[in-house]
Amino acid sequence: MSKGIGRITLTVIMSLVLVGMLFPLIYMFVVSLKTSNIFGDITAMLSASFSLKNYIQIFSRGVITRFVFNSVLVAIVVTMGNIIFCSMTGYALARKKFFGNRFLFISATAVLMIPQHVVIIPVYILISKLGMHNTYWALILPWLVNPLGVFLMRQYISNLPDDCEQSARIDGAGEFTILFKIVMPMCKPALAVLAVQVFLTNWNSFLYPFILTSSPKLYTLPVGLSMMQGLQQMDIGQLMAGSTIAALPVIIVFLFFQRQITEGITAGALRG
Amino acid sequence: MRHFNTFILISPWLLILLTFWAFPIVYSFGLSFTDYSIFGRISFTGLSNYVKLFSDPSFLQALKNTLFFVVGTIPFTTTIALILAVLIAEKIPGHKIFQAGYFIPSITSMVVIALIFSSLYAKGGYLHLLGKMAGLPVPENGYLFSTKTALPAIMVMDIWVAIGYYVLLFLAGIKSIPLEINEAAKLDGAGFWRKLSSVTLPQLTPITLFVLVINTIRSFQIFIEIYVMTKGGPLGSTSTVVYFVFDEGLQKFNMGYASAAAYLLFVIILVFSLLQMKLISRKGGAL
Repeated sequence: MSKGIGRITLTVIMSLVLVGMLFPLIYMFVVSLKTSNIFGDITAMLSASFSLKNYIQIFSRGVITRFVFNSVLVAIVVTMGNIIFCSMTGYALARKKFFGNRFLFISATAVLMIPQHVVIIPVYILISKLGMHNTYWALILPWLVNPLGVFLMRQYISNLPDDCEQSARIDGAGEFTILFKIVMPMCKPALAVLAVQVFLTNWNSFLYPFILTSSPKLYTLPVGLSMMQGLQQMDIGQLMAGSTIAALPVIIVFLFFQRQITEGITAGALRG
Repeated sequence: MRHFNTFILISPWLLILLTFWAFPIVYSFGLSFTDYSIFGRISFTGLSNYVKLFSDPSFLQALKNTLFFVVGTIPFTTTIALILAVLIAEKIPGHKIFQAGYFIPSITSMVVIALIFSSLYAKGGYLHLLGKMAGLPVPENGYLFSTKTALPAIMVMDIWVAIGYYVLLFLAGIKSIPLEINEAAKLDGAGFWRKLSSVTLPQLTPITLFVLVINTIRSFQIFIEIYVMTKGGPLGSTSTVVYFVFDEGLQKFNMGYASAAAYLLFVIILVFSLLQMKLISRKGGAL
């Protein structure tokens, strides 16, 4: 009897925590649909007037359209790059014996430990010297392969049986045919984890796109939003509309690929 | 021929690893001993950047703020996440919804989160009004415009946003506890609390330490929320080391000096992680 009451209390408490966790995001969405001033009035959120005016306004200005385009383009290219290059590297590390194999594998793990934000200065100088500052190259090239992806693919391919590869090789198939036609189709679960992980990381990425670009033509959505904040004519409703556009794809991807996201995160963790 | 193919397969990773991961680390080490800026010529200045850092009040304040941030958030994030994970693992009604719902903030863009909280914390914003209604001594112009409340306000936001991610890790840890151990505890008549203290928590030690390591690495590098919410202000009260590096290096273009600050942080993070990892291996190995 008391156990039942305990569980009910617990569910109530957990539900309250849930409300607290989701309130800021709900606030964002509701405010994005408001055109009246919401500051100073705690009941403003409850009023019944909703409109899409904020969304229409930020898109009609044209600026955010470009941010969205850049974010989508960069996220898609980087995700595809990771699918191909992480598979290539993972396959070589799992199947080929060569000098430095072990070292390269360990490097993928070690690189994960590098605090990324402390190398902003050298990366900035490097990208500038390569003539890539303020180009799509800066947003794409450095992120085309990522260490966690290499790690993930190497582990997954190591655990696959290799008889199909062997017989294909006897039939005279080249390495790339074997990789793309035989190995990668067997890696679909791992590739899904990889793709979702890379897409989300890239979609949300701020610091590097922010320091490596300097013109609104190249801004991704998070960078563009942080700049919009400073504009005088930008009000909170429009800012929250822009934020909703940045947050919504992530939430949708999460709802559809919850299992893959969980796996991607815990794969890194349970590695120890 | 076989080796040639292998080389082609690994070359993208090799190229990016060397160019964008390995080289910057070495390069910034070198830069930190120079007065490099994009204007003028470069000359070797020995340890003077490092010496200067320790008498630079804005760096010392950034370092102090960063340490305060790390020490003031991680215990809360870890404890709250652990409690929530243990409760979710009890499979109360709706546990799947709780798990998913708690996680959503942590995969939302940090810029978006920072914009939302900027408006909640602002004068007349929801949390400002709530604080007033609760009779708290809230600063008149909102939390982010007072040297006393700006950093704690950002820390509260950070705890809120990070919890879900660590709940997920703890849950994975709980799921990986061998079933036999739980069964044995049940047979011995252990209740919820007994099982928690004798089975769950000891079994979670490795993952707890892992959570501490990654959260430490992440928290030492706090930047986005600072840039979006306060730009280090008011009066440097929310400036962090990475913000200092950004400001010195990419706004004032003292790149040699900024590199020294970044390298110092790199070493601090390395020492912290190695210490914690030592602790992990002593406490019974990785999961």
